[in-house]
Formats: sequence, structure tokens, C-alpha cells
Amino acid sequence: MKKSVLAAGLVLAVASGAALAQVKPDVLVKQRQSAMTLIGKYWGPIAGMASGKVSPYNADVVSRNATYLENLAQMPWDGFHESTKGEKARALPAVWDKNAEFVDLANRLQAETGKLATAARARDEAGVKAQFGAVGKVCGACHEGFRAK
Amino acid sequence: MAPATKASAPSNGGGRLNIAARSPAAAGLFFFLLLWGAWALAQGDAKRGEYLAKAGGCLGCHTENEKATPYAGGRALKTPFGIFYGPNITPHPEAGIGRWNEQNFVRALREGVRPDGAHYFPAFPYPSFTRIADADLRDLFAYLKSLPPSSRASQPHDLNFPFGWRWPVWFWKFLFFSPGPYAADSALSAQLNRGAYLVNALGHCGECHTPRNFLGGPKMSRFLGGAKLAEGAAAASNLRSEGMKKSSDKDLKDFLQTAMTPDGDVAAESMAEVVRNTTGQLTPQDLDALVAYLRSLPTLPDEPK
Repeated sequence: MKKSVLAAGLVLAVASGAALAQVKPDVLVKQRQSAMTLIGKYWGPIAGMASGKVSPYNADVVSRNATYLENLAQMPWDGFHESTKGEKARALPAVWDKNAEFVDLANRLQAETGKLATAARARDEAGVKAQFGAVGKVCGACHEGFRAK
Repeated sequence: MAPATKASAPSNGGGRLNIAARSPAAAGLFFFLLLWGAWALAQGDAKRGEYLAKAGGCLGCHTENEKATPYAGGRALKTPFGIFYGPNITPHPEAGIGRWNEQNFVRALREGVRPDGAHYFPAFPYPSFTRIADADLRDLFAYLKSLPPSSRASQPHDLNFPFGWRWPVWFWKFLFFSPGPYAADSALSAQLNRGAYLVNALGHCGECHTPRNFLGGPKMSRFLGGAKLAEGAAAASNLRSEGMKKSSDKDLKDFLQTAMTPDGDVAAESMAEVVRNTTGQLTPQDLDALVAYLRSLPTLPDEPK
């Protein structure tokens, strides 16, 4: 099981690497920004309900949105290809200069949204409320060091 | 004048005084209560001070991180002049401010001077805190005195040569510092005055959102116009931008309570922390006042890149 996942991951990585070579930098930027826009779209209602700002809490919406979010959290990263360094965007040079830190935050976002989605699908309201802060922290941490404004 | 006349008039206050004269114990009790009342009034209200400490965002620089003891110090503030570490401000006699009296505290915030007479570096935002009203300073001090003391030692600053010297701060103050509490502008409504006080005195928003010149002094021509904070990090936003003026009051208030824009975008962590500790803790009236004041400022375009 583990091995086949790893193999599939490798194939994907190679395939996406090959595909990236053909995508123009401005398109890559647009793609990663689109993923971020959708992350915002599905994050907003979760944050509203988890913080109590929007009520009542709707477990169906939270579960659906968290599942979308878990998947979307994997998508922006291909777009931060070296070729996009000079493109007009809010990404700071730190994305490439301190790439290990950036990749670590990207991985953490995927891990934390994964936990959020698990709690949301289990209809675990307390779990969602506890986990929502952890996701928000990763968003904020990356926007601090890797995005202008 | 009035009490003297009253005391000599046998019809009202005089009666009580006569009893007091006959019973020294009662007189003693009366004066004790009077003195105690005056003392209690002069002491400052810790409960009010707690709210003011939130509005002042003291926690941010004076606590290392979310798991650390509140107000026990240790947060690193990276600047072009070196790294400053927020000191312990719990009432511990050695590690904190336990030996301070109220005057020491008022002088620190109003004049930027330590109890031993040395200048604070303006990383401690006394150019803003000097605008805090006397009564609020007393309440803040009462609150800090009510905290559990922590023995955590304050970490010395780690500054680049020659910024570690304190005496040149005198010159910096001469150029950029004008001490004195906020004077309400009679041309402004009570709400706008309150907002100005929250933004410029307690909230010290301009310490990050107003750009600085090469000496670290604020460029007042670009007051709250946004500033680069550190190389390769997010900048503090322009609070007078076109975009901000177009946002609705509700969106601005939601942002100041949740650190999130209506489209689900999350603020950088340093502002998110300000939202958790400060703006998200304000009363609805204070939040309204803060937004109203920012709105009243003339629009300023972003600095050309």
C-alpha cells in the first residue's frame, strides 16, 4: 500500500515536472492564485462558524468545505515554479530564497487541513473549533514571510 | 471654602462634627475611611487597566509566545538596528517592575525614561504611549501590579554597533519625540477623538504602519501610509489607501475582529496577533470609533514601488 502510494507520487511528480516545462510563467501564477482564491472561498465559512461569528454551526457545510480545502491545499505549490520568479505577483523572493521554510509551511498547511477535514467529516464540532486556529496560523505564518502585504 | 462654612453652621454638618469631637474613636474611623477612600481613588483601577492593556497591545512584545507566561517578556523584535527583546513587566521585585512606584511607570511611558534616568530605545513605543491620559496610566499600572510575578530574567537587547548606546537616544528624542498626553480636538466629535486616542496613543498603530526614515524616525508626511517592516517580509498596509476607503464599515470591523477579509483571505501572522490581542478585544463602541477615525483621514495613495 505504502509503496504503491509512493510510486504513484513519484510518477505524478515526474509527470507534473514535465508538464510544468510547457506552462508559461504567467499562467502558472494565475493557476496558483486561483487555487488560493478558492481556498479563501471555502475557508471563510468554516472560520466564521468555528469562531462563532456565523451561527448556527452547519456541520454539512463545514464537512463539505473542509474536504474541498484539504484537496485545494495541495494545489497552489506547483505554481511556485522557478520560472515565475520575475512575474508580477505578491509572492516575495523568499519563496525561492528560503525555499525549505516555504515548503515546510506548504506541507504543514496540507497536514493541518487534513486534520480539519477528518474532524469535520466526523461531525466533531469541538474538534473543528480546536483545529481551525491551527490552520489559520499556518495561513498567517506563510503570508507573513512569503507574501508582500 | 464651602465645607468650612458648613462646619460652623450648627444646622447641618456641624452635628456630625460635634459627635466626632465627643468620640475620638469615631473621628479616627471617619478620617481613616476618608483617607482610605482617597487612596483607593488614587490607586487606579486594575479591571479598567486590563482592558487598556489589551487596547495598548502590551502583551505582544512583552510575552515570548502564546505558551509563555503573559507579560514575562522575551519577544524578539527584529529591526534594522538590531534585535530588541521585550522585558518582563510582571511585578517581580528583581526580574520585573515590582519595585517601581506609579511615578516610575508614568515617567517610563510619558517620557521614555527608566527609573534610573537612562533613555529607553524607541522600540518601546513611548512616542505613542506618551499620549495616554494620566488616569489610564494609573489604571494600567494597577493592572500590571495585580499580575502574578514571574522570575524570568529579561533578555538583553542584541543591537548593532553603535545603536547599543543609550545616550544618543537623547538626540533621537530631540528630533522625533514630543511628550504629552493626547489633547482632544474640539473640532472633532467625541467618537473621532476616542478613535484618534485608540489609534495614536494606546493602539500605537503608526509604529508599524507609518514608514520610518534612516534614523528610525516616523515620516509624518506618510502617516499610517503603510511601511516595509523587514527585508523579505510582508509590509504593514496603508491604512489610508483607496481600497480601504472603499471597504464597508462592516468589512473593516470584521477584519479587525477575525483577521480575515470577506473573501476568506487571512492576514499575515503579525497583524493576526494584533487582532487576537487587541482589536478583536475592543468594545463595539471603541471598534466603531477606531474605524470612524481611520475613515476620517484623507486618502493617501500607496508609495510608488
